[in-house]
Amino acid sequence: MKTGMRTLALGALGFLLLAAQPAAAKPGNAGNGEKVYNERCVWCHGEEGDGEGAGGAVAKYLNPPPRDFTSGMFKIKTSPFSEDFPNDADIFRMIRDGMPGSDMPGWKSVLKDEQDIWDLVAYVKTFAELEDEPGKTVDYGTQVASAPESIKKGNKLFHDGARCSECHGEEGKGDAIKKLKGDNGERTWPRNLTKPWMFRGSSDPKDIFTRISTGIPGAQMPSFADPKSKKKLSIEERWHVANYVNSLAKTDKTVRAGNTVVKADKASGDLPADPGDPAWEAATPSTFYLVPQMIYKDRVFKLSNDTITARALYNDKEVAILLEWDDRTKSIPGDKDAMTIADPEMGEDRVAIQLPVAIPEGMKKPYFVKGDAANPVNLWYWGSGTAETPGNVRLGNGTGVDSVEDRDAAAVGLKAKGVYKNGTWRVVMKRPLVTADAKTDIQFEEGRYTPIAFQNWDGSNGEIGSKHTLTTWYWLLLKPAADNTPLIAALILAALVLGVEILWARSAAKRKEA
Amino acid sequence: MKRLIQLVLTFFGVYVGFIVVFDVLLEHAVIPSSLLMMYMFFVGAGVFMVFTFTEESMNELTAPIKALVEDPSKKMIRNVVFLLVPLAVGSYAYAKMIPNFEAPLELRTIHPAPPSSVKAYGKRYDLMTLENPYRKFEKEDPEKFKKYVKEGGMVYVKNCQYCHGDKLDGRGPYAEGLNPTPLNFQDVGTIAQLQEAYLFWRITTGGPGLPAEATPWLSAMPVWKDFLTEEEVWKVILFLYDYTGQRPRSWESE
Ligand code: HEC
Ligand code: HEC
Ligand code: HEC
Repeated sequence: MKTGMRTLALGALGFLLLAAQPAAAKPGNAGNGEKVYNERCVWCHGEEGDGEGAGGAVAKYLNPPPRDFTSGMFKIKTSPFSEDFPNDADIFRMIRDGMPGSDMPGWKSVLKDEQDIWDLVAYVKTFAELEDEPGKTVDYGTQVASAPESIKKGNKLFHDGARCSECHGEEGKGDAIKKLKGDNGERTWPRNLTKPWMFRGSSDPKDIFTRISTGIPGAQMPSFADPKSKKKLSIEERWHVANYVNSLAKTDKTVRAGNTVVKADKASGDLPADPGDPAWEAATPSTFYLVPQMIYKDRVFKLSNDTITARALYNDKEVAILLEWDDRTKSIPGDKDAMTIADPEMGEDRVAIQLPVAIPEGMKKPYFVKGDAANPVNLWYWGSGTAETPGNVRLGNGTGVDSVEDRDAAAVGLKAKGVYKNGTWRVVMKRPLVTADAKTDIQFEEGRYTPIAFQNWDGSNGEIGSKHTLTTWYWLLLKPAADNTPLIAALILAALVLGVEILWARSAAKRKEA
Repeated sequence: MKRLIQLVLTFFGVYVGFIVVFDVLLEHAVIPSSLLMMYMFFVGAGVFMVFTFTEESMNELTAPIKALVEDPSKKMIRNVVFLLVPLAVGSYAYAKMIPNFEAPLELRTIHPAPPSSVKAYGKRYDLMTLENPYRKFEKEDPEKFKKYVKEGGMVYVKNCQYCHGDKLDGRGPYAEGLNPTPLNFQDVGTIAQLQEAYLFWRITTGGPGLPAEATPWLSAMPVWKDFLTEEEVWKVILFLYDYTGQRPRSWESE
């Protein structure tokens, strides 16, 4: 009886361990794996496993392209640098959880039976004729817990001899000017380490430690455990760097689900015209996803800038909006640095704020991409300029995806200023609340929910003209300054009620006396 | 006292009833507060009339209130009530008057009634009779059918997965950035409810082809007749049903 209990307890413990850590590889059945593969994976990875799904078309549309399994190369692995190939559990994890920031989804929601995933692992390995697995993992030594001291050391090692910053940039935003190519000749970009949602293998220090130790095979991210590397790091140093990178991957510029309103506070004095003005820190940031334009004419499929953050302030005369977005490349056509990193066709970096000319009374809004004939929009454009002409502001009135009429920005008092620093553009746009002509320009009103949308161009990602990213409609609200009217009104009302009560009690008492 | 409690309970019973019916039974349709106010006004008036129909019942109802105000032995309670009532009224008024910065609610019909015909590829298609020209091969020539499904899959992965997802679950890499979100074809509430002709209409004319109740100005669904051929649209429809294991609705099954 007693032993029975014990085996049960041990069994339960073992089950818990297994559930928490499905790393223990199970033999997969490549035959069944092939069946599942042909149903779910061929579309992208191709029948031959060469990443040429849909006749090679997918590889052209996606960046990064689907993995070519015939190379046996896998990006996210835990086997040490000396081993070319991953452990089965590494492949298992990528199939189950997916690779955030790429088109590779996690399959656990449809492949509910884990055995199917192990079978896929077995089948995927056959394309490169991989048989056994290394069965070894990176030497983790003893993990150094994250602490200010460790992060400081990591910071130094990150920048020492531009160890990591030569690719990942000063602040880790992936903005160093180096043109990188993956093994299949595709353009690769160093990760923006401040965006935790872009890590293929999580921003947990242990995962980062592993990536630094193994490098990212197939891309140009090197191993820093490679004994031949001049920039090699000891185990302890790698933990410090991992803790530092983990500390970078925390940002207040994340999309908060359900937040659809850019709230502008009322300022008492002048509005900040400079993007670096500390007055902006008091304004609440709202971050939204940018989605590639796939709706009209030449479309974009490969995403570069993925979020945009907006803040707004207003006073009695004007409204000012600060836009911030991470962009790895400062695209100034004609500029030497910019040209070394851009793809052949380069445009300016640009951004647009879209507002309805008339704030809608009911539900109906203009079409969310550049309005429609009956419901025009104002488009406030800012461009980074070229080597010859400096940054510029433009105004357009949109009545459809392909019909934007150019207007004179100065005539309505629209102004803009943009600054690029360490992988981030900051652009301020300003306009008077009201203009001369309500038929052509939005007239801002305090307290009114005003639709607002954004469009963005990364000139070094080939985004020119109709190739841009966009958001759907959100709201801009000029928040009326808090005043005391409600409090005073409520107090008066309460006093009135009290007065009536007292009168009533008095008269009742009198009646009784009488 | 009993009558007074009955009146209050009846009133709140009806109020809760309204909320339950709208929120739970009608699938979380939120009842607009102005409408609710109007309903409750009439309910309140009605209940009051019933409870004060005869002089007797009127007296029964007001007796406890009268006692509270006039009976000297109830002085303590009276003072408390007299303080609480103005406080409650004041704070309610305050809560109503401070501006609340909640974004306006946008309601849209997900599956509006289709038009009777659509114009695309220089032709007019009658949606009442339109059928998928490839559907017949499912029985007649399964091999050929499989080939068409596969071609549809290629159209899908090249054009649709960004939004609707490789798993057809409406959660493609860019889905989170869109409002309304792309529809989930695995869900029994989407394509399984629809005829192939309906999908043909939706895919060829996209968001802008929707009627006003479905907020065409918000939908990011592209107008696919601009990018795909008629054949590709029919094939991708085959793929949507095949991959999800759903069946299109047909006239026979009605
Ligand atoms: C919509 C296209 C798409 C589909 C469908 C797809 N993948 Fe992927 N897959 C990708 C892309 C893109 C990458 C490369 C991501 C990167 O490099 O960051 C990838 C990478 C991988 C990797 C490499 C992991 C690594 O560490 O390098 C594996 C393994 C993989 N996929 C397996 C599968 C399996 C198994 C299926 C089917 C269940 C599948 N994929 C379906 C697009 C797809
Ligand atoms: C030669 C350029 C280069 C250098 C030097 C470099 N990286 Fe990278 N790194 C890359 C590239 C390119 C990627 C993206 C690879 C991909 O997924 O396509 C990357 C990705 C990463 C990732 C993302 C892993 C994930 O899960 O998505 C981390 C973390 C990272 N690097 C950390 C570092 C650290 C820390 C250093 C310095 C010790 C460093 N890198 C040095 C090029 C570099
Ligand atoms: C840019 C994103 C995007 C792309 C790409 C896209 N869709 Fe959509 N689709 C949507 C959105 C958003 C909706 C929901 C709003 C609506 O009904 O218009 C939708 C709705 C639909 C519906 C209506 C389903 C129903 O139950 O009423 C169908 C059918 C559909 N899409 C098919 C497709 C097909 C087929 C493709 C590829 C050829 C495709 N979509 C590509 C965004 C997209």
